[in-house]
Amino acid sequence: MPGRNISRRTLLKASGAAAVSAFASPIRAAAPEPTAVTPALIAAARKEGKVVYYTPIDLPVAELIAKAFEAKYPGIAVRVERTGAERVFQRIGQEYASHIHAVDVVTSSDAAHFIVWKRDGLLEPFVPEDVARHYVAEYKDPDGMFAAFRASLSVIGYNTRLVKAEDAPKSFADLLDPKWTGKIVKGHPAYSGTIMTATYEIARDIGWDYFEKLAKQRIMQVQSAADPPKKLGLGERAVMADGNEYVLFQVKESGGPVEAVYPTEGTPFIVSPNGLFKAAPNPNAARLFQCFCFSPECQELVVNRGAMRSLHAQIKDKPGRRPLGEIKLMKEDAAAVERLSEEIKARYTKIFRV
Amino acid sequence: MLTLLPLSWLTYYGFHDRAGGLTIANFIQLVTDPTFLDPLLTTLILATSSAVTCCAVAAPMGWLVARTDMPLRRTVRALVMASFVTPPFLGAIAWELLAAPNSGLLNKLFRTAAGAEPDEYLFNIYTLPGLIFVISCYTFPYVFVLVANALDRIPGELEDASSILGSSAWTTARRVTVPLALPAVLAGALVAFLQAMTLFGSPAILALPAGFHTMTTKIWSLFQYPPKLELAAAASLPLLVLTVALLRAEAVMLGRRSYTVVGGRQGEPRRVRLGRWKWAALGLAFVVLLNPVFLPYGALLNAAFSRVPSEFVSFDNLTLHNIEFVFFELSSTGLAIRNTLILCTSAATIGTVMAVVVAYMTSRRVVAWHRALAFLATAPVAVPGIVLGVGLFLTYTRPPFVLYGTLWILLIAFVTIALPAAYQQLQSAFRAVNPDLEEASRILGATRLGTLGRITAPLLRTSVIATWCFIFIGVIRELSAAVMLFTSDTKVISVLIFDLNESGDLGAIAVLGIIMLVFTFAVVALINRIPGFGGVRLRNT
Amino acid sequence: MASVELRNLTKRYDKSAAVDGVSLRIEHGLLVCLLGPSGCGKTTTLRLIAGFVEPTAGEIVVGDRVVSSPRRTLPPEARNMSMIFQSYALWPHMTVADNVAYGLTLRKLPRGEIAKKVSAILATAKLTDLSARYPGELSGGQQQRVALARALIVDPETLLLDEPLSNLDANLREEMRYEVRRLHDEYRYTTVYVTHDQSEAMTTADLIAVMNAGKIEQFGPPEDIYARPRSEFVARFIGSSNILKGKALDTDHIVVAGVPVLCAGPGLAAGRNASISIRQHEIRIDQTEPGGERHNVLPAVVARNVFLGHSRDYMVEIGDGTQLRVVTPPEQNIVQGSRVWLRLPAERCRVLES
Repeated sequence: MPGRNISRRTLLKASGAAAVSAFASPIRAAAPEPTAVTPALIAAARKEGKVVYYTPIDLPVAELIAKAFEAKYPGIAVRVERTGAERVFQRIGQEYASHIHAVDVVTSSDAAHFIVWKRDGLLEPFVPEDVARHYVAEYKDPDGMFAAFRASLSVIGYNTRLVKAEDAPKSFADLLDPKWTGKIVKGHPAYSGTIMTATYEIARDIGWDYFEKLAKQRIMQVQSAADPPKKLGLGERAVMADGNEYVLFQVKESGGPVEAVYPTEGTPFIVSPNGLFKAAPNPNAARLFQCFCFSPECQELVVNRGAMRSLHAQIKDKPGRRPLGEIKLMKEDAAAVERLSEEIKARYTKIFRV
Repeated sequence: MLTLLPLSWLTYYGFHDRAGGLTIANFIQLVTDPTFLDPLLTTLILATSSAVTCCAVAAPMGWLVARTDMPLRRTVRALVMASFVTPPFLGAIAWELLAAPNSGLLNKLFRTAAGAEPDEYLFNIYTLPGLIFVISCYTFPYVFVLVANALDRIPGELEDASSILGSSAWTTARRVTVPLALPAVLAGALVAFLQAMTLFGSPAILALPAGFHTMTTKIWSLFQYPPKLELAAAASLPLLVLTVALLRAEAVMLGRRSYTVVGGRQGEPRRVRLGRWKWAALGLAFVVLLNPVFLPYGALLNAAFSRVPSEFVSFDNLTLHNIEFVFFELSSTGLAIRNTLILCTSAATIGTVMAVVVAYMTSRRVVAWHRALAFLATAPVAVPGIVLGVGLFLTYTRPPFVLYGTLWILLIAFVTIALPAAYQQLQSAFRAVNPDLEEASRILGATRLGTLGRITAPLLRTSVIATWCFIFIGVIRELSAAVMLFTSDTKVISVLIFDLNESGDLGAIAVLGIIMLVFTFAVVALINRIPGFGGVRLRNT
Repeated sequence: MASVELRNLTKRYDKSAAVDGVSLRIEHGLLVCLLGPSGCGKTTTLRLIAGFVEPTAGEIVVGDRVVSSPRRTLPPEARNMSMIFQSYALWPHMTVADNVAYGLTLRKLPRGEIAKKVSAILATAKLTDLSARYPGELSGGQQQRVALARALIVDPETLLLDEPLSNLDANLREEMRYEVRRLHDEYRYTTVYVTHDQSEAMTTADLIAVMNAGKIEQFGPPEDIYARPRSEFVARFIGSSNILKGKALDTDHIVVAGVPVLCAGPGLAAGRNASISIRQHEIRIDQTEPGGERHNVLPAVVARNVFLGHSRDYMVEIGDGTQLRVVTPPEQNIVQGSRVWLRLPAERCRVLES
């Protein structure tokens, strides 16, 4: 509905304000011409026969996207390499240092990574038609190197069988209550880009002593932001301090006894860009895949089946999920994350001892 | 030669120590920074407790199987073999399914049975004792094998002499059998200690959620971007030193019989009659075996077919979705399985050939430097898997040999890890072949090579095949080196499982784990069908 | 057939010499026995001849070719020799027929011819029924015959035997001694036979080399070695001897326990210490004091008298405390403690070289 869309756009503009300064890079000013999907491109892609996609998106969802692509363009296989965004970054770094160019397209839930890659000249400027037409400037690189594939939130959650709605924590501060000691699960910023971004935002908005107190709660430390929702679903812990909203939705929608909570202080908001590499082994297939990622078809999948948030102007939120406009969001600042990520990891490790 | 590689990386890492400034700076940091000292201490506690637990469990079981008339001894041996070949990290994941404090199946049973509160639990696997328990489950076979084999060899007369003089079964056991078996027990304790100290998979799976590091997980975490290679190298050093020291101690204690093979009986020693106790003993054995075998396998099967891994399979819970997912939706499955099979067979083949050649050269003293060769062939056993991974990473990510990212680097790692045990096995097989047999061939006109082909190789056939199978099984469960060296193209099943665990996809893990076990047991079955397994038996007179 | 000559052959292991300056010539067609206790170097010498061991010094010449020297050693496969091992070394994974045919197979003879030769020699060795069996199924004697057949079928120039009979039981051993000699007579190889059993040596050898501590003590035909031992070691090792020590009176008299004894053999140096040997059965015991000459008659006391069925074994003690063993026919029964006179025939008292 138009009203909804406008408020979303305003909101996106607002929260993207900081992102603009981060995303804009002073080097070049001209983005390449937008590319549509042409039969020539498809034929060239089919010749290459495969595309390698590194992503931190939870595996079932990532594979869903892959299968949708394969169904639409038969003859091109997608290989999904899924691991936490921080690990994806590390792995790409290791591979490129050894002159191994295995990856075609990458998603990262830590937007700072793209700053580094762009600075190192590893990314290929490429603008799919959908990006040019339906994505606001705040969510794409002015030089056309990357654009926001999806957005997600890191929410608090609880298991409805173990916790009554009235007793559930409503804010980060609530989590520090002694009644939650030993019942909390959370992800790790050295593994997960989502958690890394969230940790930065929380530290900036609430302060590091929140984490110092949280560490005393004897939390169960897992790696991926996709794990806490699953642990909640298993009933292993009662409450999650952070974790992917979309995975939580998925667990809930397949019958798991879980519920999300949007903390009163604000919910960390994470934008995950997509980019493709200059030295990609399958450049045409990579371009085709990138086009597919930003197409309404894929973005619908992202929202409906993936339970994530899309930044495509034409895609609406799924009914039943709280729309972005109604959530208080913590702003993203990719440049700051890029600068501070080492420090954040070190400090976190010190506080939580792993 | 391959044996030079562990040494080449040693020189490289020595060099690397200096890369960030002065040599000792890294070590100083190591010693003063609590984030390093804690894991070191934890590792030591872990290793010691595991060793003690293993001995406490394995020694009596070894005695029961080798020296008493407890029924179903062969079954028990076979089940111990099953725990031996189960990858420890898979066991750790299975135990997560069983004993996670809230969602673990056992805890759920406990709650329904005892009517306890929803957050009470009986077992918490995410603790140091939990980790010790899981590690002991999969390390005790080492002690068991050593003790059982040592006891197999003790002549029955020694115990007869004791009982004729009037002592009961218990006294005989206490005063005759135990002292005789003591060297084997001690050696087993050392082996268990080393294994526990250098394991990576189980701590990575259980320790991190619990909030502590061990040395191996710490080294791995130093590899996160940006990799602090100097620190990783420096941190590997204490492990290496400790390993070498302990191995020397073990060699002193056991002489040259450190690696022996389970299975194959050479004749019945006199057995202690347990009388009424035998059923209790059998029960005890099975209770012990519950832990590494029955419960975890059950949990894995359950998780594979259940919609929610922490629920028991029931009619409305049964699903084939996990299997579907692994085989049809997960794009890395095919690749991982293919890589694993390729690597396992090549490593087994190359490793066996190398071990044969080296064993031949050292046991027949073909070359003057055969002692150095023997040392090099067994040296890799002193290098913990993860340390080897670090070293190989350092060596092969820089020119002239940039092998990182190919299957070759994994192949090198696996063969290096497998070589010592293979070499030991084949060396004892060679020793069992009377050199007269080869000399007889030579004097009749065959060259050394011809003799190797016509005489020695056929005689060793059983051992060679057995060695091949052992390497295969060992490689398929290798995680600690693989996790350092893999890239997306060269993933193997063990690494895939590890990755999946980080994102919590337990259902898929269960299916993949079962696939791994199926492959492993297929090879084990193959070994057991070879006639005469258990050592080449030569009767010449 | 070729002769085998050892020229000053030495083999050292660390500091000690297993074979020390051995020189020996074995004419072709002869059977020479290397006889000695364990550790005397006979097996090492054999292995040197075979080529399994390289000499530290000296040479081995077969025919007119130097086959072993410190610089170059011809490998065993090139020497055209055959060897029978103490353990027989039958290959357990091959049948009797295959074992025997091995040497011919290596020489690439046509199959038909091999089959013919194999069946011929199996017939000679009375092994035809066993040709399809495996060595593990044969008795010791049968295995030994297979070893023989295998060695002989290749028509070697030199035949080497390393204690081939020591694993057989006593009866079979006796029988096989004659068999070995018979085969040698038939085929006339140059044969070197190593044994520690003197009766084997005496039965089979043309010439015996008695070895001790790496050196050859005496080399000659069996009768020579037996009747005219040149050193104490040979005297003790072959037959059963008594050794008497005393001071030489002149070239052919030695004073033993105060009694001059005329002896045979190499001349004595007057005034020097010397020893003589005399076989146990060559001493006569007289119960009455003989009249006439006093030389070669020693007073003694009977210390022990044992009845052995076909003889009596006495232990007597002479004036200087030396104990001698004397073997007499069973009828001569002298009570323990009696005083007797020992008569030592002069030609039986051999002077030993010191």
